[in-house]
Amino acid sequence: MDGCHDAGCDPDAIDADATLALVGCPNVGKSVVFGELADQYVDVSNYPGTTVDTTLAEFEDYQLTDTPGVYGISAFDEEERVTREIVFEADAVVNVVDATHLARDLFLTLQLLDMGIPTVVALNMMDEAAADGIDVDVDALEEALGVPVVPTVAIDGEGFEELRDRIPAATAPESTAVEAYYDELPDELEATRAEKTLLVEGDEPLAKAVDVGGVMADGGSPALVESGVREEIYGQRRSRVQSITGTVQEVTRTGDSIADRISDRMVNPLTGTPIALAMLGLIYYFIGDLVAQRLVDFMEVEVFGTHYNPAVESFVASVLPAAEWAEPLEFLLINDNLGLLTVTIQYIIGVLLPLVMAFYLAISLLEDSGVLPRLAVLTDRGLNRIGLNGRAVVPMIVGVGCVTMAVITTRMVGSKRERLISTALLGLAVPCSAQLGVIMGLLAGLGLIWWFGYLGVLLVVLGVAGLFLDRTLPGEGEALVTELPRMRVPRLGNILRKTLNRTKMFLREAIPLFGATAVAVSALDYVGGLGAIEEALQPLTSLVGMPADFGQVLVLGLIRRDFAAAGMTDMALSSAQIFVGLVVVTLFVPCILSMVMILKERDAKSALLMWVGSWVVAFGVGGVLAATFGVFGL
Amino acid sequence: MSEVLTDVGSGESVRLVDVPDGDTRARLLRLGFLDGAVECRHHIRKGPVIVRRNGTDLALGSDLAREIEIERPQTEAE
Repeated sequence: MDGCHDAGCDPDAIDADATLALVGCPNVGKSVVFGELADQYVDVSNYPGTTVDTTLAEFEDYQLTDTPGVYGISAFDEEERVTREIVFEADAVVNVVDATHLARDLFLTLQLLDMGIPTVVALNMMDEAAADGIDVDVDALEEALGVPVVPTVAIDGEGFEELRDRIPAATAPESTAVEAYYDELPDELEATRAEKTLLVEGDEPLAKAVDVGGVMADGGSPALVESGVREEIYGQRRSRVQSITGTVQEVTRTGDSIADRISDRMVNPLTGTPIALAMLGLIYYFIGDLVAQRLVDFMEVEVFGTHYNPAVESFVASVLPAAEWAEPLEFLLINDNLGLLTVTIQYIIGVLLPLVMAFYLAISLLEDSGVLPRLAVLTDRGLNRIGLNGRAVVPMIVGVGCVTMAVITTRMVGSKRERLISTALLGLAVPCSAQLGVIMGLLAGLGLIWWFGYLGVLLVVLGVAGLFLDRTLPGEGEALVTELPRMRVPRLGNILRKTLNRTKMFLREAIPLFGATAVAVSALDYVGGLGAIEEALQPLTSLVGMPADFGQVLVLGLIRRDFAAAGMTDMALSSAQIFVGLVVVTLFVPCILSMVMILKERDAKSALLMWVGSWVVAFGVGGVLAATFGVFGL
Repeated sequence: MSEVLTDVGSGESVRLVDVPDGDTRARLLRLGFLDGAVECRHHIRKGPVIVRRNGTDLALGSDLAREIEIERPQTEAE
């Protein structure tokens, strides 16, 4: 079972011999078609070696696989590579085509047919096409493509009976126009039609694999064909698409739709900025206040603090014998810092679970309504300056809610370089809502000017760090290239299903990681490691002009950011000291949950660099601020 | 001097004639944006340019748009 992540996927659950892949462009309703076809959900998991999730289910005698939305089969990014792999292994494909975007979607269809992949086309969104004044002649399209074409309206469940009936009839034309290019390949090459098609299109992963096979013995460049051939084939395929759409489609639409007009307002900075700010305000209120503060507080204080933790503690104490050997075990299980059965469970169920669900709910809503890419357009200009493009706006917004969650969303950001920059900035200078709550409370006592000062310092650090990373990291910032899908009212069912699937997958991956971390930290605590760290921090606390017990605040900060800020509420400090202290704890290392997430999403080296970098920046900036205040005698 | 996509204002129709980066060119070609005239839906000052072709809207960052050479339809040539 190749398409299966090691954790929790049960290969025996699907006893099908044949695989059926669902392939289509982004936002064509693939996941809804999947939900309609699937007999039952089996699994959502990361495709091996990637951060791309794929969904598996059973459909009659097939194993049904969803794929990330792509505009063609190639290897331009991670999503495309995953889809490409799945298509290669599939016995048949259901190609979901958006009837309102025939000219865009048929390129992928023709490419699948050129590859000789047995295909059935689900011509989806027939209702929207009708509303748009687009009339598609289904029979003529079937004739032109030479494979079954079934009109569907996936969200209303229309057309699925016929689709199910015709899936066994999936086919591909005996020969297509692309064959003329096979001559470009070496004669002795043994490859399937699918492989040959991609090879003449200059597919790099495949060319390398063939190379290893010994065909290219001269060790030269992996490209088997000249570089211009891909474009020639793409161009030729485009003209086939043009001639097909020309004959099967009649458009009587005039003027802009309501969705068009809303879209125009959203991308125009004058009207879009207030709309975006209002939406962000709502999201912040929902994730940052309602869930991260109120709900999480309730879970931590009431559910866990009052009921669960004391119960577990007394239970463990009664079960374990009072012998000396049991003492370390008891500490590991129920210590107040990160006990495996108490505080760790509290973090996962009481903190992470509500946050993850709220967050996935908000993201799914933004995704399905088409808001996300428009936010990216609005913010592109500003983010360009720190080596990011507009797609990085999501992690930055979510980060103010919860940095741990935001680290996951850096998957949306595009290239590796951009993911690295956005993750580093998140870990460094974006305070999470839990921490912000405490910080705002402390700063409120000092006056508004300190609050602006605090925001100013953070923005400067964010900008400088971004500029620095942009200059020093190899490569160049990737320009924004993003489709703006039609704006729609999201369907509740689809949103909830997405939220639940993603939450399930998240927890399955996160729980073992957090468990292991908790055990490691507790062990360190037991042997007195945490106390030693506190002592070792002495020189640093005096560097930023803080009393010695600030070291304890920092040790708490290693585990959770809001703990650090909260620890400062009991200390007797001057205004300047509070200010410097808050800046230091904000810039200081990401909380343990975030670090685990960074480790999972990036790699150990980047995580370590970010962690060390946070120390340097926090105390560097704190030291400068303390010295400046010292000069003015504050 | 040839004109580039950032010279185009909202509402104009132009052809994208040269995209320097090979992969980006292939992606635009695949989506049909090099087949014929595209309509500029929006040009955000110093920001992305949004172009439309066959009902598909695509936003291109300003750094990229600056590199894409365009051609205006013959009838509008001055």
